[in-house]
Amino acid sequence: MSAATPARPVPSARRLGWLAMAGVLVVALLIGVTQGRGSTSPRDRAQHLSEQIMCPVCDGESVADSASSASVGIRKYINNRIADGASDDQIRDELAEQYGERIILTPGRSGLASLVWTLPVAVLIAAVAGLAFAFRRWRGQVEARASDADRELVESARHGTGA
Amino acid sequence: MSDETPTPEDETVDAPPRRRTILLVTVVVAVIVAGFVGVLATRAPSTDKSATSALIGKTAPQVAGKTLDGGTFNADHQLGRWVVVNFFATWCRPCVVEHPQLDAFQKEHAAAGDAVLVSVLYDDDPDSAKQFFEDHGGDWPVVMDDGSIATEYGVTGVPETYLVAPGGRVLKRLTGGVTKEGLENLMAQYEEAVGG
Amino acid sequence: MNSTLGTAGVVLGLAAASLGVATLAYALWQRRPNLMPIGRTYAFCTLAGAVVAVFAMERALITRDFSVDYVGKVGSRNTPALFNVAAMWSSLEGSILLWVLILSIFTSLVAWRFRDRMTDPLVAWALLTMLGICVFFFALLAFPANPFEHVSRAPGFNPPGPNPLLQNHILMAIHPPILYTGYVGFSVPFAFAVAALATGRLGEGWLLETRRWTLIAWGCLTVGIVLGGWWAYEVLGWGGYWGWDPVENASLLPWLTGTAYLHSVMVQERRGMLRVWNLSLLCATFSLTILGTFLTRSGVLTSVHAFSDSNIGPWLLSFFGLIVLLTLGLIGWRGDRLRAPGRIDSPVSREGAFLANNVLFAAFAFVVLLGTVYPLIYEALKGDQLTIGAPYFQRMTLPIGLALLFLMAIAPVLPWRKGSGELLSQRLFWPAWVGTGTLVVAVALGARGLAPLVAFGLGGFAAGAALRQVVLASRRQGWRGLVGRTNGGMIVHLGVVLIAVAFAASSSYDTEREISMAKGDSTSVAGHTIEFRGLRTVEKKNKTSKQALVALDGKVYTPSLDRFPGGSQAIGTPSVRTSPKEDVYLSLVSLPGGSSDKTVVRVIVQPMIMWLWIGGGIMAAGTALAAFPGRRRRDPLQPASAPVPSREAPVEPEPDLDDRVEVGV
Repeated sequence: MSAATPARPVPSARRLGWLAMAGVLVVALLIGVTQGRGSTSPRDRAQHLSEQIMCPVCDGESVADSASSASVGIRKYINNRIADGASDDQIRDELAEQYGERIILTPGRSGLASLVWTLPVAVLIAAVAGLAFAFRRWRGQVEARASDADRELVESARHGTGA
Repeated sequence: MSDETPTPEDETVDAPPRRRTILLVTVVVAVIVAGFVGVLATRAPSTDKSATSALIGKTAPQVAGKTLDGGTFNADHQLGRWVVVNFFATWCRPCVVEHPQLDAFQKEHAAAGDAVLVSVLYDDDPDSAKQFFEDHGGDWPVVMDDGSIATEYGVTGVPETYLVAPGGRVLKRLTGGVTKEGLENLMAQYEEAVGG
Repeated sequence: MNSTLGTAGVVLGLAAASLGVATLAYALWQRRPNLMPIGRTYAFCTLAGAVVAVFAMERALITRDFSVDYVGKVGSRNTPALFNVAAMWSSLEGSILLWVLILSIFTSLVAWRFRDRMTDPLVAWALLTMLGICVFFFALLAFPANPFEHVSRAPGFNPPGPNPLLQNHILMAIHPPILYTGYVGFSVPFAFAVAALATGRLGEGWLLETRRWTLIAWGCLTVGIVLGGWWAYEVLGWGGYWGWDPVENASLLPWLTGTAYLHSVMVQERRGMLRVWNLSLLCATFSLTILGTFLTRSGVLTSVHAFSDSNIGPWLLSFFGLIVLLTLGLIGWRGDRLRAPGRIDSPVSREGAFLANNVLFAAFAFVVLLGTVYPLIYEALKGDQLTIGAPYFQRMTLPIGLALLFLMAIAPVLPWRKGSGELLSQRLFWPAWVGTGTLVVAVALGARGLAPLVAFGLGGFAAGAALRQVVLASRRQGWRGLVGRTNGGMIVHLGVVLIAVAFAASSSYDTEREISMAKGDSTSVAGHTIEFRGLRTVEKKNKTSKQALVALDGKVYTPSLDRFPGGSQAIGTPSVRTSPKEDVYLSLVSLPGGSSDKTVVRVIVQPMIMWLWIGGGIMAAGTALAAFPGRRRRDPLQPASAPVPSREAPVEPEPDLDDRVEVGV
């Protein structure tokens, strides 16, 4: 038996409140998303990019962290290309061509490597679908009705050996 | 389980389909896990990784030059012995990690006289290398390289180690750090195959 | 002497645990309940063995007895006392020793706590499982990872001591024990899960019995992970606290499934549902702990945290395989008993929210696991190397994290069984305004970017919902409104929100610069003046420290490069100025020498780092509060408004504040 509070008519004050909130949210988000902060300054972009490229000569370090001259060279290359106006993706592709895919710290978009991106999404969709299916099955189930034998059982438990 | 007197209104979920689902799921999961464990079991450790090289089977390129302590070294003078050519740099963590292994290897085999270890400094400055050896110990020739030795060997990163058999042919290229045991296993394998 | 003593301890533990397993197995098989209490004795003997072994090891470390193999690897005459004691767990074999000690303590605690019910097959099975796990870990100590081998050393032998990174910070003494308590603690509910499956008694109260154990284990694991992040931040020098490194991921995986379990177990208590799922979660948590141990100690994955590899890999992997297959077998076998009598009425309900929570946490765990092991699978299939680094994890876990924040906001106000949009609109009104307010404040302070702003807004929303719950409870119940599972849980949620917001802020708004400076140079980074005043060398007992004197806004800090005698490369020790608003992190990258006469200093400015640790503390406090016994009702059939008796009574789930009493059919 559902025990939720019986529905009261929504006071128009509250509805207005929600609308006002939606408005404030939209405005704030618009300001926050469109009005750039310059956080994409060239230096920050270069830093961000070089954190995604692996040092070609040393295990597991990113170009941003490594002191090797190969890494320094790559960092210079990134800086130059950003100054030229190339996009992040372009720079990544160029480096991948030169050094191979493994230099990019994120796996590729195609082939076996891309499974690592698609598999979780597929699993999530399957899980949600499974749940939706289960809910539909549950809704379709007839509610169990207590039989007389069940009622007797409950009564004896409450007043007989109960507590 | 509890007594259930079936009444016309009761629609209980059948037991078999539920049990079948669970069995099916457990079997599927078991298969996946078995495959997973198989993959994990066959992974090589992160050291002593063998890599391809155009040099394998061929005569090793010359390793010669000035060493850290001011002398000179020439690998050609080591014919008849194993030569372990190790490219390293002080700024590279795996090189630091493998250093004690090389140290142990060198101590034992220098005494036995059957193998010689030589390091080639890769993209690093001599002062750092000197400090490194002072801090960590190690008493074998370190050749300073302007890049030409590395290029001839086709070194793509550090640490890389080339195992050169007595007679001067490159036997193995090992990337990612070596261990004393790994090197000795390779040497023993080769000697068994050749010695008969 | 220490070697012998230690080995004796290990042998004692192994023998006791094995005999315990054998006795209990025989007693269960032959249905001889009078034999089962002997298992208790064996549990205590196992503990004695562990204590003796640890005592021997610490004695050897403190007296610098280098004839013990392990002490010869990690001990040193120069290491300060605290780090010398903590050196026991600084390397592989000793860490297993610590694990064994904690495991034996938990086994003995279980044996003692359930001493009056030792003749119950379910308890016997649980103890058998725990002793079985003890057998495995003691066997590790006895065979592949033996720290007590006797080695004769040359006189004057002075080993370099533990890895210098492990001598730098007091967290070395605290983080591993707490983390291991978390890992090991989960083996208790796991043992009971196995027991329930083995005996077929799946509908009973063992869940409630082990609730507090699970909560404490989870709390320790949480604190352990947060401390790990703090330690990495303070010591490693790159200004980060979480790098999605394989070892870090290994610790996160059991935490994720454990958190899912903590939530979905409430559905099982209330509605009797999700039993298969909960059992699977418990088994998964324990299995992931073993898998994580394998990944970090076998050397298949490189990591800055990883212990040196050794022959322990095959043992751990086999144990993992064994555990998984056993639990799968048990679940498959008992499948028919797990038929749930109930159903979930509506997705818009507390149960529905917990289901969604579990789906999200499972997805999270899947992503982390996949990203960590995929390079291995890829290499097996294609023979080629693949790198999966932080950017993958960040991108994949961001939407899941945001969804979880949203769920944290609406779940506490959802009633059980069936909610309505009406109800939500009424109860979430003020929390939603808190969220909006947070967003507006953030934008006003200059924060930009969609992802962090959404995180801030949702965080405020979730915090509002949690606060609402706590305020309502305190108003109604006074101080008791702060304790008990629901209320403690709300406080934990507050901690999580704090961590989420701090995480978003520090990752999105950080500034990093590497500056080459000569003496007297000054520059400005993110509004702070950095002036380089020179270098100096300081000799300490166990290291030589080359310090850079860097004036940050006038005050001098000393990031340094430390060299340990005969140790490894110079270790950078950063210097951090912490404040509630932001951390300015200074680290000395390189000294003048070679081709350059300039000193290179790295400056990282990250906002709100301090709030990460505060959030962790709040989570710990909330866990402690949640473990506090809640109000007990004597008779489950009595309404919640019945007077509370003063005697001890079985613990019942906390009444929800918003719901009327449900009298079920």
